[in-house]
Amino acid sequence: MNLKELFGKKGAKTVKNGIWREHPISSATLGICSALAISNKVENAIAMSAGVIFVLILTAIIISLLRKIIPSRVRIIIYMITIAAGVTIVDLVLKAYFPIISEAMGPYVPLIITNCIIMGRAEAFFVQNPTKLSLLDALANGLAYGYTLMAIAIFREIFAFGTLLGVRVTPAGWVDWVVLAAPAGAFFVLGTFLWVTRTLAGVEPPKKS
Amino acid sequence: MKWLYNLFESSKPHFEKRGKLAFFKPLFEAIEFIFFYPPARTVTGPHVRDPLDIKRYMTIVIVALLPSICASIYFFGPRILLMILVSYAVGGLVEVLFACIRKTEIHEGFFVTGILFPLILPPATPLWVVAVGVFFGVFFGKEVFGGTGHNIFNPALVGRLFVTIAFPTILTTGWTAPGAWRGAADAVSQATPMALAKTQAVFTPVADLLIGIPSGSAGETFRLGIIIGGIFLMLTRVSNWRVPISYLASVFVMAFVIGLFGGIPSAGESAAPSGFAAAFNFGLFNLLGGSVLFGAMFMACDPVTSPFTVPGKFIFGIGCGVLTVLIRVFSGYVEGVMFSIVIMNAFTPLIDHIVLSMRYRGAEAS
Repeated sequence: MNLKELFGKKGAKTVKNGIWREHPISSATLGICSALAISNKVENAIAMSAGVIFVLILTAIIISLLRKIIPSRVRIIIYMITIAAGVTIVDLVLKAYFPIISEAMGPYVPLIITNCIIMGRAEAFFVQNPTKLSLLDALANGLAYGYTLMAIAIFREIFAFGTLLGVRVTPAGWVDWVVLAAPAGAFFVLGTFLWVTRTLAGVEPPKKS
Repeated sequence: MKWLYNLFESSKPHFEKRGKLAFFKPLFEAIEFIFFYPPARTVTGPHVRDPLDIKRYMTIVIVALLPSICASIYFFGPRILLMILVSYAVGGLVEVLFACIRKTEIHEGFFVTGILFPLILPPATPLWVVAVGVFFGVFFGKEVFGGTGHNIFNPALVGRLFVTIAFPTILTTGWTAPGAWRGAADAVSQATPMALAKTQAVFTPVADLLIGIPSGSAGETFRLGIIIGGIFLMLTRVSNWRVPISYLASVFVMAFVIGLFGGIPSAGESAAPSGFAAAFNFGLFNLLGGSVLFGAMFMACDPVTSPFTVPGKFIFGIGCGVLTVLIRVFSGYVEGVMFSIVIMNAFTPLIDHIVLSMRYRGAEAS
């Protein structure tokens, strides 16, 4: 499959940047808090990334459609309102249909509002680009956030609980690694993830001034 | 030795830049260095001639550890040898891998970490926990910071800390009674002196502590051997006497003061023992019990992770001692040596910075 044929030249570049080269978590280090807090179990990670992708897409559509009539002085407030509306929808849907997951994620669903990825993309991309490109950008960034969360969550759930999506996958006599269940343990996993992906993607460390 | 020399010379081209095995050059050099002194010479000055390089430095530390190693094998059986073997194999693998990827030399610093780590574990620790711990310690404690000489924390302690919080049940129940491996029973576990003192107010006699009758981490039970090894290290100037001595002194003074004000644990209804003699005994018990001696003699004085300024060394030692006793007496943990040294490791650059800026305040202004 060729990305260029699928999305055009600009679209292909946007998708590539979002998913790999300007990866929101490893390259821009955005959205770290939720990546640390919600990545202890795979089901939480799925719910979280679905929520973030939904809000991203909603924001992308609304902001890019309104980009010509949003006064630049109040643009941040407009982003906030849009994001907050999306987050409220996610929160209510989770509460109504997936009460257990909603309970487990606690305050982190409302906190999607403060997820820097959404705010950052709105300011950096959605407000300057047409709807089609913005949608691609939202999808790419959302997927990048999602697969990072999943990778960390798979590692942490197997080691910390010995399960995967609640199904026991480890042999008898397995000893849980208690430290990885706590957010503190996620630092080691996320740190290693950042190290590996940054090295592979060739991200330069910030120069000392 | 001639044939060995020829063997190295003939296989050398394979490890040079274009050779097939160029990736493993650090490994080749390390093995060659064990047998022959490297032919490299400094071309420009200064030409310092000193036989004490990193390798001799580390060898002396291992010699100083020998009494503890022998005692731990005598008390806890050949299991300890296996633990040391696993620790060396896994940790060495991480070390070699990083040296190969970074194209640097393999440093001998690992020889000390690899032997210290099994010695500070409970003797019944499963071998896979040893492997995980030493991997984590060398990886996150040392290599991430840039390898030997660049680490902020003592790698062996980082590994120990990680397995302690990752596998709390294993690391708090593996206290085998010394000598039990020779008996019929598979393993007899026995509470450590520090746990006995904290929960039941039973204080193990000093003489028992010195010769290693009570249980404890593999290398910490035979205190006489630790003291001999520590003094040997200080006499050879491999460890600076200021850190261990100020550490030990502050542990004693701190425990003595707490004892004077009635901080000694007591059993059940009976009143806490008080008075000058009781406080002195409490201080002595805190000095000899647990892993204070081992930590002070072999871990706190690590030249990489402790301050290099003279006042800084005293501040570091006193900080370790005060924190150790505070954690022992007031926290939920039985032993505080590991935490206190790691916490003070984190403060090492700050201590040095403050000491230097105070000393050179005048110089900077002019």
